[in-house]
Amino acid sequence: MASVLSGAMRLWDVAGTVTISASGLELTHTDAAIQDLTPLRIVPRAPHGWLVLRGPETLGVHAGVLGLLRQLREELAPHAQRGRLIIGAQSLR
Amino acid sequence: MSALPVSVITGFLGSGKTTLLSRLLRDPAFERTAVIINEFGAVGLDHLLVESSDEQILMLEGGCVCCTVRGDLVRTAGDLLARRASGTVTPFERIVIETTGLADPAPIVHALMTDRDIADALRLESVIATVDAANGAATLDAHPQSVKQAALADCLVVTKTDIADPAANGLAERLQALNPAAPKLTAVHGVMDATRLFQGAYDRARYDPALYETPPHRHGGINTFCLRREKPLHAATLSLFLQLVAEHCGAKLLRLKGLIDVVECPGQPAVIHGVQHVFHPPAWLDAWPNDDRSTRIVVISQGLDAQWLQDLLELIDDEVNACSIS
Repeated sequence: MASVLSGAMRLWDVAGTVTISASGLELTHTDAAIQDLTPLRIVPRAPHGWLVLRGPETLGVHAGVLGLLRQLREELAPHAQRGRLIIGAQSLR
Repeated sequence: MSALPVSVITGFLGSGKTTLLSRLLRDPAFERTAVIINEFGAVGLDHLLVESSDEQILMLEGGCVCCTVRGDLVRTAGDLLARRASGTVTPFERIVIETTGLADPAPIVHALMTDRDIADALRLESVIATVDAANGAATLDAHPQSVKQAALADCLVVTKTDIADPAANGLAERLQALNPAAPKLTAVHGVMDATRLFQGAYDRARYDPALYETPPHRHGGINTFCLRREKPLHAATLSLFLQLVAEHCGAKLLRLKGLIDVVECPGQPAVIHGVQHVFHPPAWLDAWPNDDRSTRIVVISQGLDAQWLQDLLELIDDEVNACSIS
């Protein structure tokens, strides 16, 4: 998960680091455009899923990495380009 | 009514698109071809150079098809189909679109795959890119658009091989690294076996594992790599992975093609194929092409990190596995 999060930050051009802590992962960033520089904590949630916390505040609860990355991009890189999967009408065959 | 095949011929300025098309239309096997030519400039000339029945050549003038006349392209294709249905043109069996040398083929492919007015009637057959053997390497260095044209193609046609040797000047190696799965054909003065041009994205030969063994390659901001996985993937993993890639990678993903071993369909690999964030519905092969049953996903991108995508794929599959078990 740490490598996925640090890779996502690079993809979004967010300067920062991901460190592994006792309770999960901690994301620190130095993007001056983001007002709140309090690190985000990503904590595993039983039986599966993730919590996103900033300080004592819970920002989000996610069943998987899809929703987690979506929220992290909104928190850390709200201006990063976002796409949408489109399945065309034509089959390959 | 079955969908008519439509192919796109792209390639940088002077790379031989019109010559190739002109020769193609002289081939009896392709005489029932309607052509849409897009020219960049106030006065179109290319259509005068293409020898065919005038009624089956339509011009798109006043801009590049990828940015300013995309709606016109869809309308023109729709008009052609209507005229075919009403019998006011000689019945054609295929449409070929020749883009300007400056066009990005991706929006054109997107329009053909997704526009509801034409997507049911037309079937995207092949994207063909011409590359000039004499100037191709310099063009790839100087014009990112030409790199994108070559990267997005289903089939690459190296032209002017009578005046330059693409193996000797490094162009052949470069194209192989840039787009390993695309067949590389040669044409001199447009002469070639035209049937090989239209084999389409769905072709088992394209999934020959040897094509995927190329080492990761990076040049001019474009990198090509192959994700591999020995264990089968859940169908849900594939769906989530593609959704995530489309959401976050955006225009950095140029092309993604893959042969996927899906847990729910043992022995029947899925073929996935996308241009940027637009994907064909997966197609299922009846059997694996050979003994190699590993999942292979070829990515052509503008700087995406191969290890990140591999880690992402594994993480999503772990999550799907955990949900299936719990």
